[in-house]
Amino acid sequence: MMSNMYAIEVEDVKKVYRVGDEYVYAVNGISLKVKKGEFLCIMGASGSGKTTLLSLMGCLDKPTSGRVLIEGIDVSKLGERELTEIRRDKLGFIFQQYYLIPTLTAFENVELPMLLKGVPKKKREKRAMELLRIMGIEKAANRKPSELSGGMQQRVAIARALANNPSILLCDEPTGNLDTKSGKVVMDLIKEQNERGVTVVLVTHDPDISNYADRVVKIRDGKIVEVS
Amino acid sequence: MYIQMAFRNLKRNGIRTSLAIVGIIIGVMAVASIGIFGANLKATVLSNFQNITDEVLVYPAYSAHVRHGIATTSGITYIDKRTAERIVRLPYVKDYAFVKSTFTTVKYKNTVFGTTVYGMDENSVKKMFNLKSGSFRLLGSCIVGYNLADRLNLRVGSKLDINGHVFRVSGILKEAGARFDVNPNNAIIVSLRDFDRIFNLKGYSFIIVWVKSLKDVQLFKESVDKTINSREKKVDVFELKIIIDQINKTFNFVSNFLMAIAGVSLLVAGVSILNIMLMSTMERTKEIGVMMAIGAYRTTILKLFLLEALILGLIGSVIGAVLSLLGGYAVDMAILHSIKYLFSLNTVFYMLEGMFFGLLTTLISGFYPAWKASKLEPLEALRYE
Repeated sequence: MMSNMYAIEVEDVKKVYRVGDEYVYAVNGISLKVKKGEFLCIMGASGSGKTTLLSLMGCLDKPTSGRVLIEGIDVSKLGERELTEIRRDKLGFIFQQYYLIPTLTAFENVELPMLLKGVPKKKREKRAMELLRIMGIEKAANRKPSELSGGMQQRVAIARALANNPSILLCDEPTGNLDTKSGKVVMDLIKEQNERGVTVVLVTHDPDISNYADRVVKIRDGKIVEVS
Repeated sequence: MYIQMAFRNLKRNGIRTSLAIVGIIIGVMAVASIGIFGANLKATVLSNFQNITDEVLVYPAYSAHVRHGIATTSGITYIDKRTAERIVRLPYVKDYAFVKSTFTTVKYKNTVFGTTVYGMDENSVKKMFNLKSGSFRLLGSCIVGYNLADRLNLRVGSKLDINGHVFRVSGILKEAGARFDVNPNNAIIVSLRDFDRIFNLKGYSFIIVWVKSLKDVQLFKESVDKTINSREKKVDVFELKIIIDQINKTFNFVSNFLMAIAGVSLLVAGVSILNIMLMSTMERTKEIGVMMAIGAYRTTILKLFLLEALILGLIGSVIGAVLSLLGGYAVDMAILHSIKYLFSLNTVFYMLEGMFFGLLTTLISGFYPAWKASKLEPLEALRYE
C-alpha cells in the first residue's frame, strides 16, 4: 500500500479558531507527507500556525476540515480512546518547556508512559534505565525535575518520549529554552534517534536547527510558502 | 505507582491537605462520638429496666365495664377474684402478684395528706422491693415508701391512720427506681386482707405476672385472649417489653437526629475537600494535559484524582474514628459519669459508621473535580497558563 511509505499524511487540513466574532485560520489548507524515517523541519514565525499543525499531527487536536493519517490510519475516524492509544504507542512528544511531572523523579517520568500502557514493572524499570543511559543522565535518575538543569530536563523528556518505542517523534521547539551547548546535545540525541529509523517532525524558528533536517517546510499564515 | 503519585500530589501542598484531613477527622469524630454516646445513653437507661422485660401487667378492661354500665367511677373497676385465679393458673406464668390500689387520705399526728395505698401480699413485697429499716411484716401493720417516710419523718413504730384504721409502720423501703407497676416511694403498702377491711374492694386493681421466658409474653397474651377474654373483654394485657421497645425506638431516633446534626460538620468537610480538589485540578491543568498527551486515558485521570480523595478520606476517617473513642469517652464521662458501655460492639459499629460516612463524603466531593479534570481537552490543558 502506498500510504505505508508515509509516517504522516496531512491532506488539505484547515483549522479554524473563533476569536470573538472573527474566525482565524491557524492552518489554512496544508497538505504534507512525511516519509518514514524522514527528519522534517517545520519553520515559521510565531503565530504562523506551525505549532497548531504539529498538534494536529500529534492527535492532540482535530482539524476543522481535511484528514490526518498516521501510518495510514485516518485519525479523524478514531474515538477518544484510540487517539490516546496512538499518542501513547506511535508518537513521542517533546515540548519546549519539557513538561515533566514535577512530583516524579527523572526515572519515574520515563516510566510513566509505560505505566499508562500497562507494561510490567520489571520491564518498565529496565527500559527506563536504558533510556536514561542513552541520554547520558543515568546519574540523575532519582532526582526531581526541579533539581535538574534545563538541558537535563529536556533529555529526560526525550527519554520519556521514546519510552514506548514510538515510530514518530514530534518536537515543538525542543531547544527553545536551552543555551547553545545543551541545545546541541539535545539536537544530537534527536538526530541519533532519527538515524535509528525514528521519523522526526520538528517545529522551530531557529535556522541553525533546520540544518539537522532532511527537508524544511516554511509556513506563514497557515500556509506552506516554501519547501527545501 | 499510581498510589505513590497520589500520595506525592497530596504532599505537594501539605498544609492544604492536612487542613482537609482535619476537616474529615472532625466530621467523622463528631458523627461517631455522638453515635457512641447515644448508644451508651440508651444502654444506661435500658439497664434500669433490664429486670422487667419478663413482666406483664394485667389490668381490668375499662372499656368493657363502661359498656356494661358498671364502671363509671374509678375504684370500682377491678379484676374479680375468680378471674384473677384463672389468670394466674394459665400456662407460662412463673410467678405473680395481686395488687389492689387506691388513693386516699391518711392522717399522721396532726398532718392529713393524700397518698396511694397498695394492698399486696407480703411475699410479693419481699420479692419486689428492698427494705431500709424495720421488717416486711404486713399483718396489722404497714410498710411505707422512702420519700413518704422522709417527708413525714416516719420511723418504724410510727402510727398512721388510714381511713379510720390505725396501722403501725413495720418497715421503711429503700428508694426504688421508676417502675410501671407499683411505685412505692410515696405510698403505703398494707396486706391484701387489711386493704379489703379498709376499702371493701372485692377484686384486684391489677395483677403483675412474671412469665417463664421472654418469648412467653406473646403466648401468655394470646392465652388470656382465648380463655379469659373469650366471651367479653375482661382484662387488658400490658407488656412492659413494649416500653423497652419504645425507649429503644425513641433513643434510636434521638441518636440518629443528633448524628445528622453532627453530619453537618462532615458536610462542611466535604465542601472543603471539593474546594481544595478543584483548586488542585486547576493548578495541575497543564500536568493533566501532559498526561493525556503521553497516553493517559480520561478514566486514568479520573481514577488518579479519585485515588487522592480516597486517600484523604481514609486517613481522615481512620484518625477520626480512633479519636471518636476519646470523644465518646469524654461525653460519656461528662454526661453519664460512666464508661461502662464504652467498650462494646455498638462503639465499633458507630466508629465504622463514622468512617463509612467520612469516606463517602470525600469520594462524593472528590468526584466532581476528578470528573472535571478528566474532561479537559489535552491541547487546551497543555496550553493552560
